[in-house]
Amino acid sequence: MPTKEEVLEKLKNGVIQYDEDACKEGANEAIAIGMDGNEAIFEGLVAGMEEVGRLFEAQEYFVPEILMCADALYAGLDILKPHCKQMDLGVKGAVVIGTVEGDVHDIGKNLVKMMFDVAGFTVYDLGRDVPLDQFVEEQLRTDSELVCLSAMMTTSMIGMPKVIEKIKARNPNVMIMIGGAPTSKELADKWGADGYAEDASNALKEAIKMVSFLKNLRAEKEAEKKG
Amino acid sequence: MNSKERVIRLFKKEPIDRVPCFSGMGNVTEEGINRLGYKFAGIHLNAKQMADTAASTSKLFGYECAVVPVDLCLEAEAMGCVINVYPHAEGILYPTIKEKLIHNEEEMEISIAVDVAKRGRIPLVKEAIGLLKADIGNDTAIGTYVLGPFTLAGQVMELNDLLKLSFKKPAKVAALLDKLADVIIATAKELESAGPDYITVREMGATSDVLSPRVFKSLILPPLQKIIKEIKIPTVLHICGKTNDIVPFMMEANPTAISVEQKNDVAETRKKLGPDALIFGNFDPYNVLVAGSEELVRETMRKCIDNGVSAVWPGCDIWPTVPPVNFNAMMDEIKKYGGKK
Ligand code: B12
Repeated sequence: MPTKEEVLEKLKNGVIQYDEDACKEGANEAIAIGMDGNEAIFEGLVAGMEEVGRLFEAQEYFVPEILMCADALYAGLDILKPHCKQMDLGVKGAVVIGTVEGDVHDIGKNLVKMMFDVAGFTVYDLGRDVPLDQFVEEQLRTDSELVCLSAMMTTSMIGMPKVIEKIKARNPNVMIMIGGAPTSKELADKWGADGYAEDASNALKEAIKMVSFLKNLRAEKEAEKKG
Repeated sequence: MNSKERVIRLFKKEPIDRVPCFSGMGNVTEEGINRLGYKFAGIHLNAKQMADTAASTSKLFGYECAVVPVDLCLEAEAMGCVINVYPHAEGILYPTIKEKLIHNEEEMEISIAVDVAKRGRIPLVKEAIGLLKADIGNDTAIGTYVLGPFTLAGQVMELNDLLKLSFKKPAKVAALLDKLADVIIATAKELESAGPDYITVREMGATSDVLSPRVFKSLILPPLQKIIKEIKIPTVLHICGKTNDIVPFMMEANPTAISVEQKNDVAETRKKLGPDALIFGNFDPYNVLVAGSEELVRETMRKCIDNGVSAVWPGCDIWPTVPPVNFNAMMDEIKKYGGKK
């Protein structure tokens, strides 16, 4: 039997070396030795992805490498997910994500999506060039707490405030996060979005902040009802 | 010296009075479209509207070129893809491909129709070039463009798959890029026959923001060389994003000039490539020309010239919402400062 440290190391290196088989093997070993699924994901797979992010910044890795690392990560994740205790987000943890209409740039959006997948969110990916109303409809259909909008062009970005307004009109408690090169914290504030992040890992941190805010809000409401 | 002479002499590396200010990529403006009473979505589908709009930038602002088309879908469409021009959009949305041609690895072995360059909107763009020449061709340089092989591959198949395969199965990707090079050559020759003054090869998908310099050299450079060799008129090879590490490879493709964007440190590139290389660039068409102040526009133009560009030229398409005051400031500053070096 491998030790916990050995398993974590295998998962981490499997992601870094984009070795899908190693990640699958590591994931099965994690289960065999009775490790907590979340620990294997975060201390193993995600730790590997963090190193990949560093390699990307250092220009040792480029987008193809990241995509292959992501495939390796997903290979491990698929095995580990059924063995995870549901993370206590206090809410369902569902997110609708897509690149807005008129915009086919989706490399960045896909990286953000991956972070949500690892964190155990249920992700509804609408893809790219998504008609604005489709975000509103998908949020209603899935009752997701979070909607993430990506845009890489200053023209397509103009669609974002329209989506935000429509979603908030139907359901003011939905949290909306925006991102992509031309967007900024200032624009997010101006358009009434609840969050903004520069890159994929900050996107996840920001999302977790927003979701726990929602959780507190709901708890308060419950308390009011009882009180 | 009129602007056409200036541009043509530049490509021949003959003496000129000042650096030209032009582009090889789209440069239509909302101002021009509105004055003509056209709609952005319509100009892609009508040769006269396309030509009128392209000519309006030089007529209104004295820009030193006119370029057609405006979108990146020409070759993919000729290969059988359907495009979306967003006919109902209120604002400006650039055309995109609705449905990819290649859906999986097996489908990568495509065959190319012999008359591919007669299909889709290629005849329409050819007609637009003819109209432009008749309209302003005596004084203004007329440009057109084709895609680079990797960027075209990203239009006809899922980019995620293409990127991964360029690592896992480089031979397969190389074979596809070679076929796409044939499509691009056929397109370029067809457009060339309408008599434009120069042609830009836009390989924006192969930037170092996405792809490593190593893969660029092994996979992208050979088909680029093949394409550029076949074009007779002056060529400009453009790549977006980070390019400092790949400019020597861009030169190896042997274009007449290279074009880089704002992420390129042009002073360094100039040092690397020497005084003779034609380097076009490299202001930020959105953050400077659209969103910047008049003063920022002027400052940026001087900086481009000081850093050693051979022509002041935008990092990508000129964004249609450019405020006329900024466009005028750009042209004015180049007239004042462009002869000093
Ligand atoms: C690759 C690319 C393309 C590819 C896209 C392929 C694809 N499937 O994505 C192709 C060749 C198809 C393309 C086409 C066009 N492009 Co382009 N393209 C680029 C390029 C070179 C790289 C973008 C990229 O993928 N970066 C890498 C990823 C990892 O970074 P990222 O996207 O920024 O994502 C990160 C963050 O932004 C953030 N993030 C992203 N989304 C979200 C969402 C949320 C919620 C959060 C929190 C965070 C977040 O996290 C990500 C990961 O860390 C950029 C230039 C550049 N260097 O940025 C131009 C660029 C985006 N393109 C541009 C243009 C003009 C076009 C075209 C209009 C050209 C034309 N004439 O048709 C067309 C667009 C057609 C259309 N209607 O969409 C311009 C946009 C200008 C502007 N100001 O609007 C740019 C900036 C180039 C330039 N220098 O001007 N392009």
